[in-house]
Amino acid sequence: MPFAFELLLSALVLVGAVLTLIGSLGLVKLPDFYMRLHGPTKATTLGGGAILLVSVLYFSQKSGDVSLHEILITLFLFITAPVGAHLMAKAALHLKTKKVKRTGDYRGE
Amino acid sequence: MNLLAFNLPIVVLLPFIAAAAAAYSAKFNRLAAAWVSGIATIISLALLIPAAAAIFGGETIIQNWNWLHQAGLQFAFRLDGLAMLFSFLILIIGLLVIIYARWYLAAKDSMGRFFAYLMMFMGSMLGIVMSENLIQLVVFWELTSITSFLLISYWQHRKDAREGARMALAITGAGGLALLGGVILLGHIVGSYQLSDVLASGDLIRNHELYLPTLILILLAVFTKSAQFPFHFWLPHAMAAPTPVSAYLHSATMVKAGIFLLARFFPALSGTDAWMWLVGGAGMATLLIGAYTALFKHDLKGLLAYSTISHLGLITLLFGFSSQFATVAAIFHIINHATFKASLFMVAGIIDHETGSRDMRKLNGLLKYMPHTAALAIIASLAMAGVPLLNGFLSKEMFFAEAVSFSQGNSFAWIIPVLVTIAGVFSVAYSLRFVHDVFFNGEPIDLPRTPHEPPRFMKIPVDLLVIVCLAVGILPMYTVAPILDIAVTASLQSTPPEYSLALWHGVNLPLIMSAIALGVGALVYFRRKPLIANYERHEHINAKQYFQKILAAVIRFSEWLSARFDKGSLQNAAAWTLFATLVISAYGFISFNSPLLGDRTLLPMEPVSMIAAAVIIVASILTLAWHRQRLQSLIVIGVVGLITSLVFVKFSAPDLALTQLSVEVVTIVLLLLALYFLPQTTPKETGMSRLGRDALLAIASGIGVFLFTMMVLSRDFSSISEYFLANSVPGGGGTNVVNVILVDFRGFDTLGEIIVLALAGLGIYAMLQGLHINPHSRFRINADAHPVILQTFSRLMLPLMLLVAVFIFLRGHNLPGGGFIAGLIASVALIVVYLSNGIEWTQSRLRVDMHMVIGFGLLIATTTGLAAMLVGYPFLTSAFSHIHWPVVGDFELASAIAFDLGVFLVVVGSSVISLVQLGQLSHKPENPEGV
Repeated sequence: MPFAFELLLSALVLVGAVLTLIGSLGLVKLPDFYMRLHGPTKATTLGGGAILLVSVLYFSQKSGDVSLHEILITLFLFITAPVGAHLMAKAALHLKTKKVKRTGDYRGE
Repeated sequence: MNLLAFNLPIVVLLPFIAAAAAAYSAKFNRLAAAWVSGIATIISLALLIPAAAAIFGGETIIQNWNWLHQAGLQFAFRLDGLAMLFSFLILIIGLLVIIYARWYLAAKDSMGRFFAYLMMFMGSMLGIVMSENLIQLVVFWELTSITSFLLISYWQHRKDAREGARMALAITGAGGLALLGGVILLGHIVGSYQLSDVLASGDLIRNHELYLPTLILILLAVFTKSAQFPFHFWLPHAMAAPTPVSAYLHSATMVKAGIFLLARFFPALSGTDAWMWLVGGAGMATLLIGAYTALFKHDLKGLLAYSTISHLGLITLLFGFSSQFATVAAIFHIINHATFKASLFMVAGIIDHETGSRDMRKLNGLLKYMPHTAALAIIASLAMAGVPLLNGFLSKEMFFAEAVSFSQGNSFAWIIPVLVTIAGVFSVAYSLRFVHDVFFNGEPIDLPRTPHEPPRFMKIPVDLLVIVCLAVGILPMYTVAPILDIAVTASLQSTPPEYSLALWHGVNLPLIMSAIALGVGALVYFRRKPLIANYERHEHINAKQYFQKILAAVIRFSEWLSARFDKGSLQNAAAWTLFATLVISAYGFISFNSPLLGDRTLLPMEPVSMIAAAVIIVASILTLAWHRQRLQSLIVIGVVGLITSLVFVKFSAPDLALTQLSVEVVTIVLLLLALYFLPQTTPKETGMSRLGRDALLAIASGIGVFLFTMMVLSRDFSSISEYFLANSVPGGGGTNVVNVILVDFRGFDTLGEIIVLALAGLGIYAMLQGLHINPHSRFRINADAHPVILQTFSRLMLPLMLLVAVFIFLRGHNLPGGGFIAGLIASVALIVVYLSNGIEWTQSRLRVDMHMVIGFGLLIATTTGLAAMLVGYPFLTSAFSHIHWPVVGDFELASAIAFDLGVFLVVVGSSVISLVQLGQLSHKPENPEGV
């Protein structure tokens, strides 16, 4: 395996891990529901995507055949995460979940 | 292949197939049901005929296949003279009843249901008379109880039909349990459940210490089925059945099943004092009670019912005499009674059909309206009364002769001929009543309809039966003698004694008894008015009342018992189950002598597993702590499930992990749907004592399970998994051992499991159908129930998820996956669509009926198994080969994949049907007036 390729994979793994960590931290630290929603849905999804990309590249290179499972998984992840976030936001708005001042409500503008 | 090697099971099973075909064909044409049934009966008869030569030559045909031979269960059929006689009675009278019923049933009665029940009943009866294996006989015996229940309650809208059917089922079903007990004892004594072995060890059985319990249990079955005193009372109530059913069940078949057992077990059980007293006593009591009561019944069918009871008593009494001559008479009377009683029931049905009444106080002078029917009824009744030149006379003469010869041994036994003559007197009297009251005796009194002759084909069966009565009565030697001879030989298991079927034996005591019976009987009939008035002045024991009282008491007792234990609460039931388990396992621990822990070195702990364990523990505790906040506890339960599937991954069980994961998803959806109807928090319900009890149980169970697991894990043991690992590829053709176990090695288990799953799905569907619950929610429901983003993407996801399901399914045999997991994935995919688009939207596009999916799944799975049997392998043996497909490459084709497809369909059908039904609960029914 060429060194540059390995370097790229390692970098992607790290990027994925860091993004996932940031997403998790955001889930813990952010002040209200609407902000917390960003953590797992944006950062973590992106992180997961990066790691899946590594998997595709690594296994394709290793077996000499395009590894497609991960692409399907990525597709699932990238469809479900935003749809899930959208639904949760809708539910929160419907239930009038508490929010901090900085979180504005721009509906009806 | 020789037909005689396998025709018997076909004869027995064909009616069952015909039952399904009749029910199905009736959807297209109601008469098709009758045609299918009739043709199937004729084919069954035709399949029996080739065996006739051998049977009349004195042979016994036994066709035997191993089933669960370790448990003594064989799939075994036997045809000898006795079985042949009964099969002919069942099939020929069955055929006549089918013809008759086709004209009898009204346009609003469902033909398909009727003939399906009738054919199932016919198959069960054939199964009884042709079983060689006794356990198999019990199975068919139970089937007759169930199918006769269905037949008696055919007019489900009538209360008397439902009650009569329940009573018949309760009594004959109890008898069936007794028979099972008796048969198991017999098998224990003889060491085999094969009839041939049992019949050959009569002396062994009679001298065994368990003889008496065995005898009593078997006689209980006989007496309940054949309506012997004191169990006779169900039969008159069963008259609520349509008349063709009565003609069939209560003349030739159902009630004769008990008598058949007497004849069958005669060489094995008879000849002792206990047999004589029990069988003879019950027979005598039944004979008298039946004959006496019959005279006072105003209902035509009521009269026939009690007369049937009386004649069954007569046959039982003959068996009670325990002599070989008596057996000849008994079997002869079985034939005669079947012919004249079936024709009389059919006549009663014709009269009911054409006049609208069965009340003999209204029915009078029908002779001039229906002369043909009257002629038939008169001949059949005279046969019942025992008038010379008719078949009833011959067997009754033999019966009287046996009563006389039995009485000669004992100075008190002179009472027996007297009693049987009295029974004869009443029998003549009620026969006369049937003829004179109905067809003569003035003019009919305000009948609902003007009587007229029935359709021609309704009379033809009666014609034929009456011709038999006459032919047997006049020319016994040329008609009935051969089959009677082989039947008696088979019943006795030895050469029958010399007997004569001649009409004239000279003036002897039996002839005088017959003359007395005829003369005094006529006298009693013409003096009946004061007798009937006297009868009706007195209170009579109402057996139905007692039956219902006993039934109510039994129910009260069970309710009392369950009220003591589980108090109708799931928590209590669980507590009792745990408690019982604890007691049993505590006993196991105490009586375990070796050291608790083995000497195997334990694996070192490593941080990841410890963290996983810690998470499980925390999640479990949180579930407990938050159990009153339903949603939170649901989420932490989900954590437990996820960690469990990670544990499976760690221990290299990807199949289990995948299954666990998909089960987890389906469960969460299911629980969320249920939560919709529940309050979000539950109030505190349990007091300290209850908590203490539960905590104690929980801790004790936890310690027990821990100790048990440690005991197993700390010692070396050889498990069966080595075998599976070694044989998975050569034996099952798959490298995924888990899947090969599921679909091949333990395929039968899986089949059982998917049947349970299918039943559960259908059960949930049935229970929730038509139910409407308002969601328990403090929140107002968002108007946007199906957000457009969710809708759009769920539709996009559906094909992708189904693709995953197909992928998982196809690779299942060799790599982690398989029908079960694929089924769960597919159902999740469908449920997502249901949830996001709404039930109406989805159902208008997904037009597949999930009932059909479940049914096809079971059908495919079972057919795969049967296909293996067809080519000579055991049930569910899998065949496999590798084929090379273009593009796809090497592809393995195993028959197990068809089985797996069945599993897949059942899983999809059951999950979707129950979840959708649960989701539908809050939907308003479409027609509000139906609420």
